Amino acid sequence: MTVPLLSLRGVSKRFGPVQALSGVDLDFNAGEIHAILGENGAGKSTLMYVLDGVQRPDTGIILMNGSAVAFASPRVARRAGIGMVHQHFTLIEALTVAENLALSLPQPPRWRFDATVTAAQAQALARRIGLELAPPEAPVSGLPVGARQRLEILKALAGAGRVLILDEPTAVLTPQEARHLFAMLRQLRAEGRLVIFITHKLREVKEVADRVTIMRRGGVIGSYAVGAISEREMAEHMVGEVVPAPARVGQRDHERPAALDVSGLSARGARGIDGLRGVSFSVRAGEIFGIAGVDGNGQRELFEVLVGLRRPSCGTVHVGGRPLTAFTPRAALAAGIGHIPPDRHHEGLVLSMTIEENLLLHRGILDRLSWHGLLRRAAARRFAADLARQYAIQSASLDAPARSLSGGNQQRVIVARELAERPAVLVTVNPTRGLDVAAARAVADAVIDVTCQGCAVVLISTDLDEVLDLSASVSVLSRGRLSTPLTTPIDAERLGLLMAGAAESS
Amino acid sequence: MNRLVVRLVPSLAALAGAFMVSAVIVAASGNSPGTAFTALLSGAFGSADSLSEVAVKTCPLLLTGLAIAVSFQAGVWNIGAEGQLLMGALAVATFGVRAVHLPGWLGLGGALVLAAVAGGAWAGIAAQLKLRRNVNEVISTIMLNFIALGLISYLVQGPLMEAGGRYPQTDAIASALWMPRLAPYRIHLGVVIALLAAAGLHVLLYRTVAGYEMRASGLNPDAARLAGIRVHRRLWLALMLSGALAGMAGGIEVSAVTRRLYERFSPGWGFTAIAVGLLGRLSPTGVVIAAFFFGALDAGSNAMQRAAGVSSVLVSIIQATVILFLVAFERGRWLPEPHP
Repeated sequence: MTVPLLSLRGVSKRFGPVQALSGVDLDFNAGEIHAILGENGAGKSTLMYVLDGVQRPDTGIILMNGSAVAFASPRVARRAGIGMVHQHFTLIEALTVAENLALSLPQPPRWRFDATVTAAQAQALARRIGLELAPPEAPVSGLPVGARQRLEILKALAGAGRVLILDEPTAVLTPQEARHLFAMLRQLRAEGRLVIFITHKLREVKEVADRVTIMRRGGVIGSYAVGAISEREMAEHMVGEVVPAPARVGQRDHERPAALDVSGLSARGARGIDGLRGVSFSVRAGEIFGIAGVDGNGQRELFEVLVGLRRPSCGTVHVGGRPLTAFTPRAALAAGIGHIPPDRHHEGLVLSMTIEENLLLHRGILDRLSWHGLLRRAAARRFAADLARQYAIQSASLDAPARSLSGGNQQRVIVARELAERPAVLVTVNPTRGLDVAAARAVADAVIDVTCQGCAVVLISTDLDEVLDLSASVSVLSRGRLSTPLTTPIDAERLGLLMAGAAESS
Repeated sequence: MNRLVVRLVPSLAALAGAFMVSAVIVAASGNSPGTAFTALLSGAFGSADSLSEVAVKTCPLLLTGLAIAVSFQAGVWNIGAEGQLLMGALAVATFGVRAVHLPGWLGLGGALVLAAVAGGAWAGIAAQLKLRRNVNEVISTIMLNFIALGLISYLVQGPLMEAGGRYPQTDAIASALWMPRLAPYRIHLGVVIALLAAAGLHVLLYRTVAGYEMRASGLNPDAARLAGIRVHRRLWLALMLSGALAGMAGGIEVSAVTRRLYERFSPGWGFTAIAVGLLGRLSPTGVVIAAFFFGALDAGSNAMQRAAGVSSVLVSIIQATVILFLVAFERGRWLPEPHP
């Protein structure tokens, strides 16, 4: 029995109310490609940050070759031979390839910087592992994504890299680039290095990994030899035993007209790759349409198009039979599309403004509560007080900044405001993410109430429980394409497979 | 009102810190801090005449401080109040030597409108660059300051030089354009105009939809945009208003105090204004207080130099130290909300 190269024993990490990792025990061996598989929020990224020294575990230890180590920072981890390639690259665009490499050396040059030496070292390493490196003197700003990733990998391996951690490396790559990457990973394995590879794509696990560890809700479900587990089994472990509750909103009512009709919608993605590819669906008044899927498969783009932040490259959006002609938030609101954005702090609230002011943060409300451009303060105060009472927003005063509220109360402010305008369509993304149980229930109840009053709701969520609990029909958004809707009773296993991107192979 | 008091705590603490540092400096230079500060105080508030001087010194700082407040609140970092002020002064000086035959109220009113338009137009260049070409307004407004300075330097030595041709300055403006004073003191109607501007800005920022939208756009442009606010229009409005206020400051100064334009017309009001705006926590009420305080320091400094033999530069040290303390206390908390 050989000693594992890297081991975790009882590692836990907590962020506020969220237990990101709970008692993780895990072994990684030299000379293997080890995939970490799990849904968003399963704890994969936190696990890797702990290994890379970005985060320190609350409890538990990390063992390297059998002896305990503690990484105070990524640089310390790098000296121990652990390098990480983040999903979002950490290159400095204005510098050249060689300069970027020099910066990431375990002992960067202190005074005099000789890029030629670094370049020579880098190219020797690149040649050995069969990695095609961009010219050392080329500025990074001009490199395509694949070349940048190769540079990141080289950065992570610079010095005596024994462990390479990749966070969803194929998310930004074309299929050809991904094949190239896998070949490179196999070469690294052949040299006896350990490659840890975070993903939520079952096919990639099958294609490149030797072992797979499946995570769910901060814990390890199990580690398996890839040859001994089927894609179907992996999906089941990943999604867990979802017991689909009978949806709380009734069946599709085919008598009612479609309130929202989306047809052939395509849009460029945030990272320049395809975001949405021919998405069509329609939602009737009084219906919640769930869109499940793993983050990064077009969820963000769909939200942005529907609320007017992104112009689609083709396709149409009709609200109540009328086409949406301008894709601006103002036009979307005017057409009756309300929204609960995915990022409360960034997009839903102005944290430094008061609770009352945040309850007015909507074009329609401001219009209603003003007279020739003057705010009607008494009316605004009454309006805010009514909403605060109706939605049980707990605060010392409406004049307190929104920053002072708990996450649950902040979300209540957004929900109260958006529903006060009685939108014909409500677009909501992960509305209960990160909320305590009471607040999550209050938000869900509010969404159901507004649906019963005739609103058409689009629920985009990466939380399968949330989708299944609320929606009458569910589609899965994967790689920018929307599956045909599954209606209740929903086959959770089939849903899990669709989410893991196995649709094409099954 | 309670909230205002709480919001002013860091400002007051910064003042206390600045005076302590200055006291150490005065003592180290072999003078008595007590004597110096007493002289400073009586120089500012000792007589009706000195109070009038405080008001005169406060006026340009108040208007430019308001200019800073409105743009910073909307998240536009207008560092160009100095240039905008100079353009306002230039407009009045140019107009003033030609508008001899206009009735007084029309001439003066027209001059002030011109000053506001000139300042707004100068800021408008930065606004257009920002909205059309995404040029950072900090850079463009700073650069426009230099252009304004150079332009005035050229004009007062060339085309606009006084008829006698002795000094690099313009002719005196027509007396019809002189701002009414409360004789025998130098305090003038411009002070009232500046206070009205502060009241107007308060109403705009806190009582109107446009002001609400400006503040929301400044603190979180993404949330504002998603709420259907046309963020770009609000930034544009804030920068133009800012330029107009700074332009008014320059115009009033020409009309009420100097009566002509010359090189080094401004002792850096547009820059001190940033300190005034920040010290006043970017609120119009706070800016009134801060401008009055800075005005009093300026007015008292000469008396201090005469009576206590302490250089009037000490006042600049106090003003600068206040800002350093304030920035340290606040950790840049008036900046837009950080995005995770």
